[in-house]
Amino acid sequence: MHDMLDDYVYTNAIRDVNPKLKLLLGLSCILICVSSTSPIAPLIVATSMSFIILVIAKITWRLYAKLLLVPLSFALLSSLAIIFMQGETSIFTFTILGFSFSVAIEGINLALLLLSRTLGGMTALIFIALTTPMIDIFSILKSYGLPDLLLELSMLIYRYIFLFLDEVTMIRNAQILRLGYSGFSSSLNSFAMLSSVLFIRAWEQGERLIVAMDARCYNGRLGVMESRVSLSWRSIIAVVAYLGAITIIAVMTRDIGTI
Amino acid sequence: MHIMEGFLPHPWWEIWLALSLPVVGYGVYRVNNLIKEQRNALPLLAVSGAFIFVLSSLKLPSVTGSCSHPTGTGLTAILFGPAITSVLATIVLVYQALFLAHGGLTTLGANIFSMGIAGPLMGYTIYKIFMKSGFNLFLTVFLAAAMADLTTYIVTSLQLAMAFPASSGGVLASFTAFAAVFALTQLPLAIIEGIVTALMFKYILQAKSDVLLKLNVISETTLVKIKESLT
Repeated sequence: MHDMLDDYVYTNAIRDVNPKLKLLLGLSCILICVSSTSPIAPLIVATSMSFIILVIAKITWRLYAKLLLVPLSFALLSSLAIIFMQGETSIFTFTILGFSFSVAIEGINLALLLLSRTLGGMTALIFIALTTPMIDIFSILKSYGLPDLLLELSMLIYRYIFLFLDEVTMIRNAQILRLGYSGFSSSLNSFAMLSSVLFIRAWEQGERLIVAMDARCYNGRLGVMESRVSLSWRSIIAVVAYLGAITIIAVMTRDIGTI
Repeated sequence: MHIMEGFLPHPWWEIWLALSLPVVGYGVYRVNNLIKEQRNALPLLAVSGAFIFVLSSLKLPSVTGSCSHPTGTGLTAILFGPAITSVLATIVLVYQALFLAHGGLTTLGANIFSMGIAGPLMGYTIYKIFMKSGFNLFLTVFLAAAMADLTTYIVTSLQLAMAFPASSGGVLASFTAFAAVFALTQLPLAIIEGIVTALMFKYILQAKSDVLLKLNVISETTLVKIKESLT
């Protein structure tokens, strides 16, 4: 099973900082990373975000490293494809199984740029995920006019994700105890059984849910608690100064390649 | 297969977002109509969305040993049709980015297009065509789920190739390179997801076939026929 980031978000050390400010910080960092043309700004974002996540928000490094592993493996694989396709002047060429591969400076530069952008963007995304609880994001989205239907659907889905995860863990443990995953074909069968039972239970939950909601006078709208967290001037100035500095660095280093 | 945050450069993430938004908007319109017709549709859609998320967070049994998750897009498309699937997929993709650090926010548009629109559309079309021609149900479900996965993988490779065309050979050469790199994990994954989805269908048919009737996935006559052949 996965580590759900949501398990940690309520206990992080900057849970009580204004959620709009945290979203502004994370989203701006993502945008700066994506539009930066040199790897320097994204790398600065990645280090500073990691610092905030690990030291200020007090997330354990073990969890953080595990979270970064999946996106980085995707980025490495894709960069590998890019290295061999870009650029005219190759620095070295080698042959595997009759195919010749050549590596050019442009290819390496682009691959490094993409790796740094993904690293910066992912750390900023993980920052949002680990510090801003979903209920805060819901109330922000509501205040910015997300259609009621989408909000409603998202909130109900959010609620049921955790119920079903519990259910899955229970069924899976029972299956493992009965050697359900001892071979490849039995694993396939057990997995299919697990997901079909999950679907059926989910469906029954849904049928009961409408009755429960009707009994509580559901009129097509769930209320969202507006969280009112005061904004401190210190934190606003810190975020604005940080974003300004990163933007200036990104603009100033726009022509710098890696090699 | 998700494109990670930061990987798609400037004009492309906006382009894919602009392409996906109208489709999702149409999906929202359809869901709205559905809920006006049947009040109890909303909770059922919600539990289905949660089901897709939980399904996609499970690890499939795999041969290559790589970390592989089912996408669930084929199944959702068969059950709900492509328009509603695009709405559920959008919400699930946001949650995957925020809860599991899979995917991203700027790459959301591209991911919606490949996993929430193109893949489901392919799965749904295959399912409809093959069922109409009286093909075996389980084989049809297998094909629909596997092809939905493959379509997602091909569209993702294409999205990456268009953003990073090769210096010699252009988009086509770069598409081949991306497709080759990801084929290693994606081809076995598609086949396994196809098998699992077909088996799932069998169990749902045996245990709670009225859901499939209610969703108009199969007709009453085919259901009776299949149930007879299963016992």
